[in-house]
Amino acid sequence: MIEIILNGKRTTISKEMNVKEIIKELKYKQKGFALALNGTFVAIATYETTFIHDNDSIEILAPVQGG
Amino acid sequence: MTKHMDTNSNSWEIGGKTLHSRLLIGSALYPSPANMEDAIKISGSQIVTVALRRQSAGEGTGDNFWNIIKSLGIEVLPNTAGCHSAKEAITTAQMAREIFGTNWIKLEVIGDQYNLQPDPFETVKAAEVLIKEGFEVFPYTTDDLVVAKRLANVGCEIIMPWGSMIGSGKGLMNPDNLTAIRKQFPELKLIVDAGIGKPSHATQAMELGYDGVLLNSAIALAHDPVKMADAFRVAVEAGRLGYEAGTMQQREFASPSTPTIGTPFWHQFKD
Repeated sequence: MIEIILNGKRTTISKEMNVKEIIKELKYKQKGFALALNGTFVAIATYETTFIHDNDSIEILAPVQGG
Repeated sequence: MTKHMDTNSNSWEIGGKTLHSRLLIGSALYPSPANMEDAIKISGSQIVTVALRRQSAGEGTGDNFWNIIKSLGIEVLPNTAGCHSAKEAITTAQMAREIFGTNWIKLEVIGDQYNLQPDPFETVKAAEVLIKEGFEVFPYTTDDLVVAKRLANVGCEIIMPWGSMIGSGKGLMNPDNLTAIRKQFPELKLIVDAGIGKPSHATQAMELGYDGVLLNSAIALAHDPVKMADAFRVAVEAGRLGYEAGTMQQREFASPSTPTIGTPFWHQFKD
């Protein structure tokens, strides 16, 4: 088990894994959002080669109304 | 029957797109999604601003909103609202480009939480990086001429000075500053962004020669947002037409418009 910060909240996941796997484990849909790891954008094309480690911070953002 | 003569020059270009409407509209704060959709449609706007916020697992609450926006078939301008540093804004812009499929970004880097005044230093820093990464940057800034100059120097072809504070509805605080920016940068696309409260404010901005206005609260928070969206459509068109027509020179004294020759009851001599 490792601990990450997901959208500002501490969250426990089963192990270190890549972004594609964590999206599945966290039960996110497969599209309609964008992801940043430790403040850096992670493109969809690199989900499988980008790995999440203990204490990493993940932001998952989706479209909303804006001015 | 009077025949209407269309004197509106109509189309203009911004960010590589040819558009007709010079009104950029926000998508937030409406009483309902249906009301937002109706307001955007009647406004005639062809650019709508959107944003990104945290999404919880399994949550799809944004889907409905995004589907409505997509169905409108107009240009989407994502913003970086809420960012307080160049790094945050750059990351948000990159995320927006992937989600919304556009290289347009309304760059907002807030420097003060009370009046939501943009941070000019971080805004310029972010703009420089984003332009190098191929973004079309729409920077939200104050009406400071030097900041506008810095933004132009790093490659911004669009600059969006505020009219007044975001959501204040106070209109154009410093029309002279806005005029100075217009005169200094005739080649840039200039949009008054923020602070517009009434249709007359939008008309005033357009009469100054601005290429467009961007607003949200003035429409969304009106008692009847759909009717207000229509009012702003007309106001922006009126202001643009007025600018193109060229306003008269102001005079210090009264000058009659009715011919004085042949004035009745007038005598060359006094009794």
